[in-house]
Amino acid sequence: MTEEKKPEAKAKTETKPEAKAKTEAKVEAKAETKRVESGEIFEEFREHSVAEFFKKNRQMLGFAGKVRSMTTLVHEFVTNSLDACEEAKILPNIYVKIDEMENGHYKLYVEDNGPGIPKQYVGKALGQMLAGTKFHRFIQQRGQQGIGAAGGVMFAQITTGKPAHARSGTGDGKVYECDISVDLKNNQPKISNMVDFPGNYRGLTVTAEFSEVKYDKSEYAPFEYLKATALANPHSQITIVEPNGERTVFARASNEIPKRPTPAQPHPLGVTTDDMINYAHHSKERKLSSFLTQNFARVSDAKVDEIKQLCPGTNFDKMPRELKWEEAEAIVKAFKQIKWIAPSADPLRPIGKNQIEKALKNVLVPEFISVSERSPKVYRGGVPFLVEVGIAYGGKSGHSTKDGGVGLDVKRFANRAPLLFDAGGCATMEAVKTIDWNRYGLKNVDQMPITLYMNVVSVFIPYTGAGKQAITAEEEVVEELRYAVMEVARDLERYLSGKIRDEQRETRKKAIMRYVKQLAGDLPYLSGESNDKDIEKKLLSMIEHKYSKIFEKTRLTADEEKQQQKERDEEIEE
Amino acid sequence: MAKRIAEEEGATREKLVKLGKQLVAEIDKGQSPSFVSPLRGKSNVLHHEKEGFLYLGDKKETRTFLNVAQAKKFMQTIAVAAKCKKFKDENLHTSIRGLFYQLKFTLGEDIEEELFEEQTESNDLVEDLEVSLSVKREDLNLNTDRKGVVAGPMKVVDKFAGTENLIDCTKQGRSGWMIPSDVDNGMEFIDVDADYVLVIEKDAMWQRLNEDRFWQKENCIIVTPKGQASRGCRRLIRKLADQKLPIYCFMDCDAWGWYIYWTIKTGSMNLAYLGEDIATPEARFIGVTMGDLERYDFLKKLTIRAKEVDIKRAEEMLGYPWIAQHEEWVKELKTVIELKKKLEQDALQGPRLTFVGEYLREKMKKKEFLP
Repeated sequence: MTEEKKPEAKAKTETKPEAKAKTEAKVEAKAETKRVESGEIFEEFREHSVAEFFKKNRQMLGFAGKVRSMTTLVHEFVTNSLDACEEAKILPNIYVKIDEMENGHYKLYVEDNGPGIPKQYVGKALGQMLAGTKFHRFIQQRGQQGIGAAGGVMFAQITTGKPAHARSGTGDGKVYECDISVDLKNNQPKISNMVDFPGNYRGLTVTAEFSEVKYDKSEYAPFEYLKATALANPHSQITIVEPNGERTVFARASNEIPKRPTPAQPHPLGVTTDDMINYAHHSKERKLSSFLTQNFARVSDAKVDEIKQLCPGTNFDKMPRELKWEEAEAIVKAFKQIKWIAPSADPLRPIGKNQIEKALKNVLVPEFISVSERSPKVYRGGVPFLVEVGIAYGGKSGHSTKDGGVGLDVKRFANRAPLLFDAGGCATMEAVKTIDWNRYGLKNVDQMPITLYMNVVSVFIPYTGAGKQAITAEEEVVEELRYAVMEVARDLERYLSGKIRDEQRETRKKAIMRYVKQLAGDLPYLSGESNDKDIEKKLLSMIEHKYSKIFEKTRLTADEEKQQQKERDEEIEE
Repeated sequence: MAKRIAEEEGATREKLVKLGKQLVAEIDKGQSPSFVSPLRGKSNVLHHEKEGFLYLGDKKETRTFLNVAQAKKFMQTIAVAAKCKKFKDENLHTSIRGLFYQLKFTLGEDIEEELFEEQTESNDLVEDLEVSLSVKREDLNLNTDRKGVVAGPMKVVDKFAGTENLIDCTKQGRSGWMIPSDVDNGMEFIDVDADYVLVIEKDAMWQRLNEDRFWQKENCIIVTPKGQASRGCRRLIRKLADQKLPIYCFMDCDAWGWYIYWTIKTGSMNLAYLGEDIATPEARFIGVTMGDLERYDFLKKLTIRAKEVDIKRAEEMLGYPWIAQHEEWVKELKTVIELKKKLEQDALQGPRLTFVGEYLREKMKKKEFLP
């Protein structure tokens, strides 16, 4: 377990953040190290404002590496919009435009049709770190780190010194525009140049200028991110205009707004030390013991007594915000030794087979789709989760390979949020890696236009690190993902073998067709009967009948299927 | 196996038309048009023990258009059949090469494929058609290369290209009458007034005997296939045998000579489909033989070393039941294998050029033939 990582890793985190920012890959590879870092984040809250901390440790929040930073910015603003729309039961229309400026800076423009932000809250929403409501709510979230749009605003500020610009309206005939920045010392919003004017605009538009970011079209870049977002949110319409002016619309595939996840308290078995510190430091409870009973599902006073026995060195009467890493670690360890009533599976909100199919069809225009349908399972002895796996073949499925071909593309999601980074250690990839593709006739899966869509749904996604870009390879999760992948792979195999059969039929048909004219010309002369037109017509219809696609025929009876198999075998022998 | 004699006027054309009608009928019934022909492979070649010739067994091969593996060949077969019918209608003859060029064209503007790319393809189908329809290629107006020369007391009525020519084989001078590709259609052999037919392996030896006017002195017909006998030559020998003339073959005592002899006698594997029409089981082997070494002392010095191929062929022949059944041949072949020697017919000119005639006369008198 990553929680057991000890102080020597912690010591590492005190090296210069700038150096780490340059070595994004290294940081990503050391997901476990990061877990400890994130623990530290909240310890430091006591001395510094979140904003100050962010300034120093931005790489830990996804602002590491120029491309990744760009993606994180897009992610923060777009997620903000999606959540707002979802909450207001609005079908999201999101417009993202990225411009490269002459000085090498980038301008990001994100516009939504959400509920908009009432003027008095705009500062808090965009100019104060960790002010959002999501951070403290225990519901199935899109998986953001809680820094939200304000993180983006701050990133603009610290890389260009310029405030972000916001424009919003709630549809009441009044629209306002203002510049927003963050007072880094006090983590307070600074609003300037506020202008009101009449208008019917409803939604939020944020414009901000950044440097230390870069736009490209790699698999980690905003384009892929938005594509993945569209795949996970078929109810949304997302438009991206890239710096080169290219405009892509991921059109809405479904008018069904996802149901809001119901809030649920975390179950002790789904909590990491990291989470524990996070929750404790934001708790309004006065005692650690009451913090435990009030914030976690299934934790009774009796259970707290059991925990106390297992953690003799911890004072359970102290303020939760004074909880130290080691103590939190001990409590989490104790959680695992106690018998719990399993958490409720009710709050799980899968995207749904139907919606995933619509999304895949819409974005990838594939030849073939199959989506698994599986019931919820539990991991770590009691945390409910469920997996949704879809496979798409053909069309725009797969991603380009170095040699110019197309190969297997795995689109990973946790609670609908695309996971772009740290794929290596992710449970999804673990499952994909251990599939014997040969068994499904997909030997060259690396050279086939296939997209695997994998969404893990849980109130407690076991992320590997604070970046929340990979899911811990929990045995039960990996196993469940494997089953789901196998399920859809089998379907694809069935489709492809039928398709291969059809292709063979088509080739055979064509091979014979080319001889019809000659034969139809010779026969009337040889026999002194009939005419070439008539013979040609009859021959063509015979060929058409024999070599028509199986899928076009009505369902074959078992006998017909057998007969066809026999014919195929015969032809192969010849 | 049907006995093929000279085609009755129009019979082959009728067979072609019948094939066409059958295929059209199949198409009308919604069936894949099919072409059935006896299998020509070695596995289907049989030896007729009583009569002594090779023929094709009952194994059949069906070629049907709606099978992708057979479609092209089927279409090609019909193209060949239609073309042959055209030759018949026009009363024109060509070679299988000429037929190939008639059929070497693209299958369509947008199709990068020719009806026939190689002559071997069409050659094969000509044979299929011959077998299937029970006709010879000559019946399909397809000529083969002429090979073989005849001299002796017989006349030929050759109806050709609208003319009728009477050929007297005693008046062909030094070159003799060249055997045409087709000795059946438009050909008539009359006044065959010989005691026997002598088939001489080598043209040079034939010329020697022709110069001696051997045919006149012996009242025989001398034929040389000039090596392996062509279809026309074999067919002519068959026809002469049909006129009750004994056939004597005068060959080298080596692999090649034996092979030529046995091909004339039993027919060959390749042409097994022509069966008894092209075989002359009555033929006898007059020489030269290993036994001659005992009779003619001088020949002992004129043997040459048998080559590997001769020995191998001798061993092979011992394995053929239709050869092994003759103890004379077994003895002959075993001697060759043992001595590793062979003997050419030309060796008989050792003592004097005219000795060949003396040798043949003596053999004939003593009836010293190998079966």
